[in-house]
Amino acid sequence: MEPVVLNNIKIEIKEDELLKILGNMGRVESWKGKGIEEKIAEVIELASRLIEPKGIYMIAEGRSLGGTDIFDSLEKMAFSICTIGEKLEKKVGALSREGSILEAVLLDSTGSVAVEETANYIESKIAEIASGEGKKTSPRASPGYGEWKITNQKNLFELLPAGRVGVNLGNSMMMSPQKSISFAIHISETPVRLRGKNFLKKL
Amino acid sequence: MLQFYEKCKKAVIEGDSDLALKLATEAIDKNKPVLDVIEKGFVKGIEEVGRLWEDGTFFLPELVMGAEAIKKALSLLNPILSDQQTKGFKKGKVVIGTVEGDVHDIGKTLVATMLSASGFEVYDLGFDVGVDSFIEGADKWGVNCIASSALLTTTMQKQRGIIEKLKERGIRNKYTVIVGGAPCSRKWADEIGADGYAKDAVSAVTLVGKLIGGD
Repeated sequence: MEPVVLNNIKIEIKEDELLKILGNMGRVESWKGKGIEEKIAEVIELASRLIEPKGIYMIAEGRSLGGTDIFDSLEKMAFSICTIGEKLEKKVGALSREGSILEAVLLDSTGSVAVEETANYIESKIAEIASGEGKKTSPRASPGYGEWKITNQKNLFELLPAGRVGVNLGNSMMMSPQKSISFAIHISETPVRLRGKNFLKKL
Repeated sequence: MLQFYEKCKKAVIEGDSDLALKLATEAIDKNKPVLDVIEKGFVKGIEEVGRLWEDGTFFLPELVMGAEAIKKALSLLNPILSDQQTKGFKKGKVVIGTVEGDVHDIGKTLVATMLSASGFEVYDLGFDVGVDSFIEGADKWGVNCIASSALLTTTMQKQRGIIEKLKERGIRNKYTVIVGGAPCSRKWADEIGADGYAKDAVSAVTLVGKLIGGD
């Protein structure tokens, strides 16, 4: 399958998700009445004007992947790289430089929620395709998380023309824009979690 | 007087920057003992904020608001401390940055903010900072501590580079070196010969306080 580019992905930035990422799992009550709720609402609104959610994905037979043999034991895989663009992180940098640390922290965290939602959207698209073939999907796995080496980021960038959605890979394996996610999903009637001993032997 | 200190402490705990600034102005206008106002009032507030954050009562925005409130107050009070008082209050100097090849900035900025809110003189070099720049900064500002952040397993090697370069120049013992960032750990700090590791901004304050602040 040729890579598919998805531009202008519509996502919703959920306040609950933002609170979670900021360390409020619902049990903290002390924050109410300090103006934080208002600031969060403002930052979500600002973020929605700055983000440009987009991504690229492809589905391929594991054995036919050029440039890597890391997935050769898995019959069908989906790979994706997605981003929210660079406007938001530029604004975070500007806020940080001018000493507005609270706004910078809130906006940065909102960006993390937004890119996560973008990845969730693409994941759901891949799950739809898999479902149409009577197959299921594994949870997402990303290089640098768990035991999957971050250097395998190169493999994903060899497979996908990420430049088409404006994502580049630096020498330190860091993606630019920072708020980008790269991931793999196993598609099968019995998908394996992309972690653990059996799979990792192949990485 | 105790009541005034309590108000200062509460302003920081509440993360109320306007009130903190108002109280700092009042302290100056009414000739209150500035060092005591800082140490018995505002600093007690940020210590409590740190404690509340560590035990999960506060979440991140409240921690940042507390730090911003005390920084506002200190921006007025610090300049009028005598040199001797400043020496007594300031706990030490820290140069901080995110290592070369790594542009993650916000976590490091948070650590810098908390350190400065807790009485350390902080020189923030920003992100993508080369090993030599850390050492040049440390030398230029005569700091006690070099703090580096790395968010990737690929870039954390630069933290080792700082230690190696200090050794190469024969000045390893001149500085306390600490590390932080998502892939770091106490084990990593030990492996590269750093003096300490902090998992977050509040534990960085505790760590630096123990290592160079005489806490």
